[in-house]
Parts: sequence; C-alpha cells; structure tokens
Amino acid sequence: MSSTEKVASAIVELEQARQPGAEKAAGKSVTRAVPKVSAWTRWRFGLWIPPLVTFVLLGIAWEYVAHSNPFVIPPLGNIAESIANDPSAYWNNLLVTLKEVAVGGGAAIVLGYLLAVLMCEFKILERALMPVVMVIMVTPVIAIAPALVVAFGFGMLPKYIVTIIVAIFPILINSLAGLRAVDPGTLDVLRVVDASRWEIFWRLRLPGSMPYFFAGLRIAIPFAIIGAAVAEFVAAGEAAGLGAMISIAASQANLEVTWAGISMFCVLGLLFVAVLTLLRRRVLWWDNHGRAPK
Amino acid sequence: MNAALTTAGAEVTARGVTKRFGVRGQPVTVLDDVDLRIAPGEFVSVIGPSGCGKSTLLRIIAGLLDADEGSVAINGETVPQAIRHKTMGLVPQTPALLPWRSVRDNVLLPTQVNTAANAGRNLLDVDELLTSFGLGNDLRKYPRQLSGGMQQRVAIARAFVFDPPVLLMDEPFSALDEITRDQQRLGLLDFWQSNRRSVMFITHSVPEAILLSDRVVLMAARPGRIAEVTEIDLPRPRDESVFLSPQFREYEIRIREGLRRVMKNVEH
Repeated sequence: MSSTEKVASAIVELEQARQPGAEKAAGKSVTRAVPKVSAWTRWRFGLWIPPLVTFVLLGIAWEYVAHSNPFVIPPLGNIAESIANDPSAYWNNLLVTLKEVAVGGGAAIVLGYLLAVLMCEFKILERALMPVVMVIMVTPVIAIAPALVVAFGFGMLPKYIVTIIVAIFPILINSLAGLRAVDPGTLDVLRVVDASRWEIFWRLRLPGSMPYFFAGLRIAIPFAIIGAAVAEFVAAGEAAGLGAMISIAASQANLEVTWAGISMFCVLGLLFVAVLTLLRRRVLWWDNHGRAPK
Repeated sequence: MNAALTTAGAEVTARGVTKRFGVRGQPVTVLDDVDLRIAPGEFVSVIGPSGCGKSTLLRIIAGLLDADEGSVAINGETVPQAIRHKTMGLVPQTPALLPWRSVRDNVLLPTQVNTAANAGRNLLDVDELLTSFGLGNDLRKYPRQLSGGMQQRVAIARAFVFDPPVLLMDEPFSALDEITRDQQRLGLLDFWQSNRRSVMFITHSVPEAILLSDRVVLMAARPGRIAEVTEIDLPRPRDESVFLSPQFREYEIRIREGLRRVMKNVEH
C-alpha cells in the first residue's frame, strides 16, 4: 500500500467510525474507540503543507523584489488594492474574457470531437482535411489573429475564431487517437456478432476515447485562454476583456492594473482546470489516471 | 439448463482456404489449400509452430479476414450470414474487457448489439453463467479488480452468453501463468462438457490440446497447411485424471513427434 492509500484508508475508517448509524444499527450504545490517527494523517498535512510553503516563499521573494525595484513588479498589496478600488471594471473584463473562452473553447471542444469522429469513421475525410489542419496548426495563432480582426472587425467573432483555432487541435488530435486506440480484441468480439458501426462507436469507441479526450481538454482549455488573450491583445481597440485591459495598462506602465489582470487570468485558468478535474473524476472513474492497476 | 441445448452446435467447413499476404512486395502464402471440418458439438484444437497460419485460419472462419481462395460454410451458411445470425462467439488472446463495464455488463455486451439476431435464441442467464465460471461473487466488480485468470474467464463467458453454436478461441490462456492456465483449462473443460458447442481452439500447448479436444489438428508453416490430424479417443467427461492415463502419454508423444517433424522441415 502506498502512503497516500494508507492515508485514504485511514480516513475512510475514521469516517466509518464517526457514522452515527453504525452503532445504532448494530444495536449498541457503546462508544466505539476511534482509531488513533495522528493529526498529521488526519489533516493530510503532507498534501497541502509543501505547496503552501512554496507559495509563501514565492510571495516573500516577490515582495522583496517589488520593494527594492518598484518599476519591475508592484507589491502584492497594491495589486489587491487596485482590484478592490474598482471591482466592477475587473469583473466586467473578466466576464468578457470568460465568455470568449467559454464560447470559443466550447465550440472547439464540440467541433474538435465531431471532426475526430467523422475522420475516424470516414478515412477519406481524414485524408482530405488533415493536411489543412496541419497547415493551420503550424501557423502561429498570433500571426493569424491580426488578419482575422481585419476580416471580422473588433467584435466578439474574431475572438471566438482565434480561440477555436488554438483550442481545437488538441481536442481533434487526441480524440482521433482515442477513437482509434480501442482494444482490437474487443473490436473483433463485436465484429463477429455483426455489431453495426454505430453500435461499435457507441459501446466501444466513444467511452474508450474519453481518457484521450480529457487529456486533450487539459491542453485545450489553457490554449483557449491563450487564444482569447491573444485576440484581445490584437484587437485592443475594442478595449474589453482582460487581455485588452492588460495591453492598455502595460502601455501606460500601470503595473498594478497589468498584474491584477494577469492574476485574473490565473484565477480563470485555475477555475477551468478545477472544473475539468472534477468532471474527469465523474466521467473517468474507471480510468486509473495512468497509475498502476490495482 | 435446457437439456435439448446441451449438445447443440453447428458444422464448420473450410474448403481449400488459401491466403497470401504481401510482405515487401513478396507474396507469402500463409495458408495453402486448407481443409478443416468441425462437426456439430466437436472440440477441435489447432496446434502448430508460430507462422503456421492457425490464427489466420481462425480469423477467416470468424469473418475478420477474407480468404483469397476457398470457402467457409457454417451450417451451410456463408460467413457473413453466420455473422449476421450471431452464430459464432469469439474469445480473443487477451481478455479485451471494457474497463468501464462491470463483469456482468462486459459479459452482456454481445447480447446488446445486433439485437435483431437475439430473437428466438436462448440467451443464457448471466448471473448463472458467471456463477458456473466461479465468478458469482464478482458480478459487480470491474475488470481491473480481477486477476488475469478471472478476466479470461469473463471473456469466455462473454462468448458463451448468447449461446452461439460455434466458439472460436484464439489461444485464450496463452497470457496466463502455468498454474492459472491449468485451472482455466479444467474450468473450460467442465463448462464445455455440459454445454457442448462446436469449438475451434488454437493453442501452443500439446497437453492442453489433448485434454480438451476430440481432434487435434497439427499445422505446418511456410506455407501454412494441415500436417496431421489426431483423433483423441479419451472417454468423456474428462477431468484432470486424464493427465495420468497411458493413452494421454501416447497421444502426447505422437503429437510432439509430429510437431518436431513439422519444425524440422522449416529449418533448412
């Protein structure tokens, strides 16, 4: 048993011991001895203390640099103050960017997976489209973005398109690999009983592709945020969204606003990753996360 | 269990099956004019050195590969017809279970596809089937919670569940350790003796072939062809005591000699 498993099982025991129904169901009123678990194990200090220490040390280093070189980075307190002074401006810009990431990223996820399914089922589509995909993928999005702004104006559309372009590839490539990576033995078992293509897709390929799809999501979501930021930088005239806000603030050497915007991006990214992790745990409970089985 | 069905099976006839693969432009004859007949309810093992085309033959009968020449009939039907009617159950080399399905749901998988072919057939009771495979307590478990031997038993149950008259097993025990393998062989023997279907069983193991089979077909490589056929005339129902009988030893010696001859012809 690994140490994390030990911790987990100790916690399970603890929870069971705490269950009020346990004694009642057994018809006992005796106070059961709670298994002795040290505070270290009980609060899982080993899990959250080390990263906490890292963050505290980083914070101290930051403050040190900020106070000795005020024109490089602002003190953390000033950043927080900047947000506290005008929360609605930050909130509105955050919402604009969030919308771009959600719409553009969402469209990339749906389109990417659909395209992967079509390419998996119809080889000719893969032959026809993959070269185009490659051409777009190797072109830096920062180079395409200005052209898209010229073509589609300063509204939301070019931002969605840039976000889709960056986020779609990891979804498409990973999902296609996943749809193809089904166990050949299971495929044979199904073919021998004349399972239809749809049945093979639904029962085998779709669920089997989920670990790959989620691996793709893990890359695509930060990419979508990058896409939204890049599009906003390029179309700064619109002056909406965290990227535009950062771009304007930086040009005016307004470090507090710049870093406040950056920290908003951090929060946005972490939020999406957290949702993704929870979702993955629900959908992919059967996948052992690359850990050794059993 | 329904007594009328305990010796059901279909006749499998392969005639003049020839298969060539192109390897770097050079055609290699993997199967050369192979004839094989499996009588209804007969257990036939196919044994031979690697590259003799035994798996290819199984895949052609299963409809997973097309033969270049020759024909396969299953109870007078063509392979595509037999597939449409779910006449064959396949046990692949690896268990090939779906990790997101419980043991029970994995076994049920073949009954959930091509459901039109389920009409009028005797789908076995999954729980009963798994219990007879010694997995009665593991119905709700997931594949990764099972040992390799148990997983392979689930894969065999999956092939039996829709009660196909023909079972095709491609070295189902080859990935297991020897002790587990012995246990699995006897388990399969037991189950098959009370549910006789036509079986084509591919193996590398001479004792395994003798223990299970009515006939052992020895194949030779380059080109893949049938070298010898040995009728195993040991009384049924058999159990592990078969290993101790003098006839078993005789069969083993005879088949091993055959194997040696077949291997010698390959070395130039």
